[in-house]
Amino acid sequence: MNQNLKKINIYSIYLGAFILVLPIIAFFINAFSFRWFYPQLIPKELSMQAWVRLKLIPREGSRTLEGFLDLWATNPTVIKALINSLTIGFVVTIVSIIIALPAARVLGLFNFKFKKLIIFLMVSPTILPPIAFVLGLNINFISLGFSGSFFGVCLVHLVPIMPYVVLTLTGIFANYNPDFEYQARTLGANKFKTFYLITLPAIAPGMVVAALFAFLVSWSQYLLTFLIGAGKIMTLPLLVFSTASSGNPALTAAISIIFIFPAILILFFTSKFVSGESSATSGFGKI
Amino acid sequence: MTEVNIVNLIKNFSGMTRPAVDNISINIQNGELIALLGPSGCGKTTILKMITGLLTPDNGDILLDNQSILSVPTEKRNVVMVFQNYLLFPYMNVNENVGFSLKMKGDDPKVINKRVQEMLELVKLPDIGERRPKQLSGGQQQRVALARALIANPRLLLLDEPLSNLDAHLRDEMRELITSIQKKLGVTCMFVTHDQEEAVLLADKIALIFDGKLQNFAEPKEFYEKPINVSAAKFFGGVNFIELNKNTNYFDSSIGKIISNQKNVDELHSKCIATIRPENIKISRENIYQDNFFKGKIKSVIFSGTHTRYKIVINNLNLECSLQSLGIQNINKEDEVFVNLPKDKIWIMND
Amino acid sequence: MGGDKTKIILSITPPLLIIILLFYGGIFYGLVQSLGYQPAIGKYEINFDAYYNILFSERYAKLFWTGLALNLWVSFVSTFLAAVLALFAALAIRKTFFGKTVCNFIYSLNLPMPHLVVAVGIIFVFSQSGLLARMLAQLNIISSPGDFPVLVKDKYGVGIILAYIWKESAFFFIILMSVLQSLGENFEELAQSLGANRWQRFRYVILPLVMPSLFSASIIVFAFSFGAYEVPALLGVIYPQMLPVMAFEFFLNPDLNARSEGMALSIIIALIVMILVIIYFWLTQTRIRKD
Ligand SMILES: Nc1ncnc2c1ncn2[C@@H]1O[C@H](COP(=O)(O)OP(=O)(O)OP(=O)(O)O)[C@@H](O)[C@H]1O
Ligand SMILES: [Mg+2]
Repeated sequence: MNQNLKKINIYSIYLGAFILVLPIIAFFINAFSFRWFYPQLIPKELSMQAWVRLKLIPREGSRTLEGFLDLWATNPTVIKALINSLTIGFVVTIVSIIIALPAARVLGLFNFKFKKLIIFLMVSPTILPPIAFVLGLNINFISLGFSGSFFGVCLVHLVPIMPYVVLTLTGIFANYNPDFEYQARTLGANKFKTFYLITLPAIAPGMVVAALFAFLVSWSQYLLTFLIGAGKIMTLPLLVFSTASSGNPALTAAISIIFIFPAILILFFTSKFVSGESSATSGFGKI
Repeated sequence: MTEVNIVNLIKNFSGMTRPAVDNISINIQNGELIALLGPSGCGKTTILKMITGLLTPDNGDILLDNQSILSVPTEKRNVVMVFQNYLLFPYMNVNENVGFSLKMKGDDPKVINKRVQEMLELVKLPDIGERRPKQLSGGQQQRVALARALIANPRLLLLDEPLSNLDAHLRDEMRELITSIQKKLGVTCMFVTHDQEEAVLLADKIALIFDGKLQNFAEPKEFYEKPINVSAAKFFGGVNFIELNKNTNYFDSSIGKIISNQKNVDELHSKCIATIRPENIKISRENIYQDNFFKGKIKSVIFSGTHTRYKIVINNLNLECSLQSLGIQNINKEDEVFVNLPKDKIWIMND
Repeated sequence: MGGDKTKIILSITPPLLIIILLFYGGIFYGLVQSLGYQPAIGKYEINFDAYYNILFSERYAKLFWTGLALNLWVSFVSTFLAAVLALFAALAIRKTFFGKTVCNFIYSLNLPMPHLVVAVGIIFVFSQSGLLARMLAQLNIISSPGDFPVLVKDKYGVGIILAYIWKESAFFFIILMSVLQSLGENFEELAQSLGANRWQRFRYVILPLVMPSLFSASIIVFAFSFGAYEVPALLGVIYPQMLPVMAFEFFLNPDLNARSEGMALSIIIALIVMILVIIYFWLTQTRIRKD
């Protein structure tokens, strides 16, 4: 390739990367400066005030371990929302994997009547917008008493997550050779041992990636939580939305940083898998 | 160390017009090595899977030492199957793979180690215990899979196409290893193949299956000399077939009268078929034969080392004959010859 | 086989039931309500008033049709630009160079990022006193915030489009990278040896190879941006307003009569997305049949 062209190529990649991280840079500047007036590019002074106002970091002078613990013990809103988000995410992910596993195995390994129809029914929620079902569901949930409850929110989160988990696990099983299980059975392993000694290790890599992304889907859910939670279940996205609408950039930025932390972490650990090798590394593959 | 009885076994799959396994009965004596032979899709694997319990038969029974095992779960049957593609568990090393069944039984790790080492020595791979399956050649994987099966002391050992994934050279070696180990341990063994040569070389007895139906269950020699029907004969390389009409003490055919000293003539229908192996046909320029001789013409001569193959035509009937190249008479294409079908070598069957 | 059938049914039923009850049940209930059946406020008859009101009434029609136009504009532009930018990025990044792993990571960074955060990030960067405006001010290109164009909360949906480009280009990027990776460079080298220049290799080799994946990814992105709420809620204006925001606000309206209109609107959104997806499947099916 032409040398100059190659250089232009590389510099435009760097430029693109820079533009892509601008929002992240803006988050950090906003979160650690309380008075960042136009047209300063770099704030005059660092400030923890946003974090103090969110009751995540104690006031100056009491920033000891004890100070932190005391402050967090008062159960500030952000911590409450964080715990809610984490719990809902974990519960929904684990429940959906347990429910999806047998279905995905059957869908991935066998052919049967109506299989296409079932997959179509399962895929639709990933394409159709949540607003299409949640308005109707909301009224149902109110009459059933699920509205505003932790249970109701978890239930509604299953709608975008279950199809995703079923589909990814089906992909893994389509690439998996069940003869390994039969081999273990003839060697004297019972059904239970076969599952955790043979099946689980084979599908684990793909399953973990699926679980992490399922968690992220729940973690990012705004509309469903807002409607079904009916203001009683506060999660991080709800907090980000309301602070962003009310307009204090420093507070918004600080909460956003907490909010995006798992996303970046998950991408970091799974980048190997999301680069398209996932189906190859999960399941033993048919030899 | 087990006698195996397969009785009237039937298995249907939805989407198939005929049963995948159609009323098959086989009796295997203690310590015998038998082959299930048949073309692809004839139901061999299905039979093995029913014996291991991975599939349930629709009808019939499977008995080990006269006790039905149909209600015993797979893992308790102690019938071990070695799959065609070995299926070594990829995240376990060789030692863990071989020791798997003992671990399932809950044996002491020290005992397991000792037994694993013994087994690896038996399959002549004493030093690879720490390796992962990926680091082994195909032949080594096969032997590890065999060791993993044998360590369980199976009552019945099942091998699904044990040699098909190996190259020709390894195949000979592996074949000898399997027979020697099988005889040494005296384990009753059943293996599947679609290669008649492999079946003949390995097995004490062969069960020939077409389309889910058992054609014949007998010693290998019989399949060459006394095939049960045309398709069975063809499967074992039979090429010469002559349509016959039965008469009182001879047979009529398009090339003339044929006589045979076969014993079971009474069982033959009025229309039947004669076959003869190419190496049993005799040809000569002069007529030196007493009976069953015909005048024919050589259509082609193919020299293939130790043997030479002649295609002969007699009154529109094509026959193939194979003679030892050494000490051969000078017979060439287009020559007129006398062809003899010796009456003790010709085999007549119903179709 | 009897055993297998029960096993299949037992395994498939639980997730299917959840989806049918919650998702299809929700849609059905919304549909019923959009047809005016609202026992809660004593309405039992079925009619198409809500649909008529939205599509043709003086009160709502203008709102709806401008909203629909904005929806189509935002979805088309953001899907197209995100796909094109990601394609160029993927093609450029394929080759080895200094910092490839880091760049790869940064270009994939927005994949797991919640839409909400991306929207907030767009405000921080593109608002009139945002990071970009400050950078330009430092370079003396602009002097006051007013000189910077209104890109966030503008009536052309620029901010919304920017947010979707940011977020969805990562999705396109990852899909393209894995397609390109699995294809390797053999086809291109082959084409080169047959005398194809850079442009020809792109036009006649790469593009046809990545097009199927690019096309399916585009449908997903288009459908998503057409029906999503968060981004337009944060970055949009009151008029023209994108349909999902409109539907939601109808629904939250204290006047319970507006609820039917909200439901009707959400059904219309779902219908449009569904038609698009069906067209897409129809297109791919006919293409497969041709091949
Ligand atoms: N689970 C199943 N469902 C439906 N049909 C099946 C199933 N398993 C096998 N069959 C069919 O049953 C027949 C016998 O299959 P089987 O696997 O036993 O053949 P095989 O003799 O082992 O062939 P090969 O030599 O190719 O391994 C085939 O026609 C096959 O398509
Ligand atoms: Mg088979």
